[in-house]
Amino acid sequence: MRDAAMPGAWRHYRPSQAMIVVILTAIIFVTLSAALPGFLSVGNLFTLARGISILGILGLGMAVVVIGRGIDLSQIAILAVSAAIAVSLINAGLPEGPSLLIGLLIAVLAGILNGFLVSVIEIPPLFTTLASSLLLLGLTRALVVPHYQVFLEHSSDTLQALGGTVAGGLPVPVIVFAVCALLLHLFLSKTVLGHFIYAHGDNAEAARLAGIATRPLTMLEYGLSAAIGYVAGVVMVASTSLMHLQIAESTMIFDVILVVVLGGVSLVGGRGNVMSVIAGTLLIGVLLNAMTIMNLNIQVQNVIKGGVLLFAIVFDSYLHPRDDETAKQGD
Amino acid sequence: MSEVEPILKIVAGTKTYGGVHAIEGVDFDLRPGEIHALLGENGAGKSTLCKIIAGAVQLSSGEYVLAGEPVSFAAPGEALKAGVAMVYQETSLVPSMTVAQNLELGMEKLVTDFRKINIAAQQSQQSLNFNVDPLALVETLGTAKRQMVEIARAVRHDARVIIFDEPTASLTPEEIQHLFHLFNRLRAQGVAIVFISHALEEALEMADRITVLRDGKLVHTGPAKELERESVIRLMVGREVTAMNKVELTGESPAAPETPHVHSRVLTVENVTMGSVVKNMSFSAYAGEVVGMAGLVGAGRTEVAQIICGARKRNFLRGGLILLNGKPIRYRVPRQAVRDGIVYITEDRKLDGFFETMTADDNIYLGHLASPKNRRWLYSRKERKQVSDRWVEALGISALKRSLKIIEYSGGNQQKVVVAKSLAQDPKVVIFDEPTRGVDVGAIPQIHRSIRELADRGMAVIVISSYLPEILSISDRVLVARGGRIVEEMASSEATEEKIMYAAIH
Repeated sequence: MRDAAMPGAWRHYRPSQAMIVVILTAIIFVTLSAALPGFLSVGNLFTLARGISILGILGLGMAVVVIGRGIDLSQIAILAVSAAIAVSLINAGLPEGPSLLIGLLIAVLAGILNGFLVSVIEIPPLFTTLASSLLLLGLTRALVVPHYQVFLEHSSDTLQALGGTVAGGLPVPVIVFAVCALLLHLFLSKTVLGHFIYAHGDNAEAARLAGIATRPLTMLEYGLSAAIGYVAGVVMVASTSLMHLQIAESTMIFDVILVVVLGGVSLVGGRGNVMSVIAGTLLIGVLLNAMTIMNLNIQVQNVIKGGVLLFAIVFDSYLHPRDDETAKQGD
Repeated sequence: MSEVEPILKIVAGTKTYGGVHAIEGVDFDLRPGEIHALLGENGAGKSTLCKIIAGAVQLSSGEYVLAGEPVSFAAPGEALKAGVAMVYQETSLVPSMTVAQNLELGMEKLVTDFRKINIAAQQSQQSLNFNVDPLALVETLGTAKRQMVEIARAVRHDARVIIFDEPTASLTPEEIQHLFHLFNRLRAQGVAIVFISHALEEALEMADRITVLRDGKLVHTGPAKELERESVIRLMVGREVTAMNKVELTGESPAAPETPHVHSRVLTVENVTMGSVVKNMSFSAYAGEVVGMAGLVGAGRTEVAQIICGARKRNFLRGGLILLNGKPIRYRVPRQAVRDGIVYITEDRKLDGFFETMTADDNIYLGHLASPKNRRWLYSRKERKQVSDRWVEALGISALKRSLKIIEYSGGNQQKVVVAKSLAQDPKVVIFDEPTRGVDVGAIPQIHRSIRELADRGMAVIVISSYLPEILSISDRVLVARGGRIVEEMASSEATEEKIMYAAIH
């Protein structure tokens, strides 16, 4: 209420959530290196990095939607479907370039459809994306990819290079992740549209009243999420030479949400940035890898992942409470 | 009236929200078997007092005595158990359940015997002389019948005190008669009734005693017989008008009458209708003029403003006409209004005014960028500084704290940032909705001054306010809205608080 009493700067210094997560990751990393034989081997670190990259790229896409106060549960389904279609086209003899472009187009269109349903028809994003993922998957299985998986029959060098390594074994997916992160960072922080996405997630009605075209903006958010997801899909295909539609029915989407929320991209919207995604990715990547090395069975892994996700969401709503009471108190 | 031991007493009751007093030092008492009317302007604290009595809100300080014992209710459910029930304006029934189920709500046994509760419902309805089918789903009932069900529920809980929040607001005259009949029956049974009303005649006719609140303080309690319409209105608005006149508030001499410069009509609103909230509302706004719009909550003022700026849609058929500089407009989204130079500054800045995660500069610059006139691709820190510097200076926003997030600002500075965010869009018509709500006293004159400056620069300014001194001090012309219409229009030189209040309540 009062203008007086300028508090000291130190009172306002709080380490960001991303920072805390990075420190936590470092601690876990060091502990695992000491305790877990095989964790700190070059081979494992590259496996770890490769696994992280795909999760990280997906997280970047999801972050765009979550910053805009939405959620995209269909990201993996869109990725699987569009990548599978691209692979089928290549198998059918279409050149790689156009095939991949068509895949991208399908992904973006699916994303825009999500955005349309959310913003114009005003269906909550949770239901929209849940339903659209089912629809896409069903359509694709019925029309294009009769089996769960499509193998890339004749791959080119360029595509294989995308899944390979460069200069002393650094996996290319890591570079793709870095490039995506950099581009997204520039988009979010340097462009007006990026700032509009923050405004939209912070207070959608205020953004609308101010004259921001929130409906096209929503479509942009979901379109971006799908497009970035598709990049991850292409990297997957490049690494493994196949696209397995079953990933759309796996718990992968939870890993992605976990990465995003844990790093500090709050589900209430308008908060977090690319750094948050990187931090979240590191932590979850390390955890997943450690659990694999420890050979924990999948149920235990799920219990741990689910527990951490619940904790992250509870913690998030503790940090950013948003209900009528806080929204209205006129202090 | 003989002195009866009061059933309920509030002693020195104070409730503060974030440092602002909603009610302050209120001494209120209620006797068994009386009908007690609560009167006051918007924001006078009537609802807060009722919520405290009903246990929905707790006192910050003071004492609540029920039947001789001090009590403190943590939730409305506890109050209900103790015999204090509240009948809300928006009814608190479950629409998808039957009347009988709703009557039973909160008292269910483990297994519901429908036959039993239906019979019980029938009996309780009959004892109150209601005719509502216990098997009807509540969603199929009209407002009046829903209210009957609520009352029946209160009676079933053996309520000794029943609070009604504007019970007659949505009833027809016959239904009102029926309700008052019921009030009398309840009174005869020794139930104490409190009701909020904006209809003075009703209150004067029905109530045994009347309490008038003003600005959170209790200014009068006494038998209804000793009061009449005029004296009540005087009690409701009777502020020290001299302390709040135009000169002191704005720091300038009244600008209105001296130069009647040629105003051009910028905005014309004709017979605008939206559902049952805005009905045939008509008014105009002129360049270089501040129009104040007074009225009670629910008079359709905010709604019409939101219709003008595209945030809501009026009826598609027979929705009336809005003209901007003679051209008809009908916006689908606010962006179109912003493009045409119409901005709306919200009444609840936290809800839909500012972006809480951002600094003041970002907020102002985003307002600038959001205008279709200032389209660009890259976010420029340099331009942000230029734009925000300009407005920080123009509106006197406390510049010390510009690196802080806006949520950490004082209410006054927040409000100024929200205003700047809209003004950065270079508007021609500005609609302020409650421009000084929750604003610290020191910032109010500054905001009033900027409103006046906007008009002086040739904009058409509409100010919606429930605070009459504000309306009187900044308006050139005063409109009074009631029930979705403009019912009165006067020059500010002729307007007084009494006149406005008179027009605003029926």
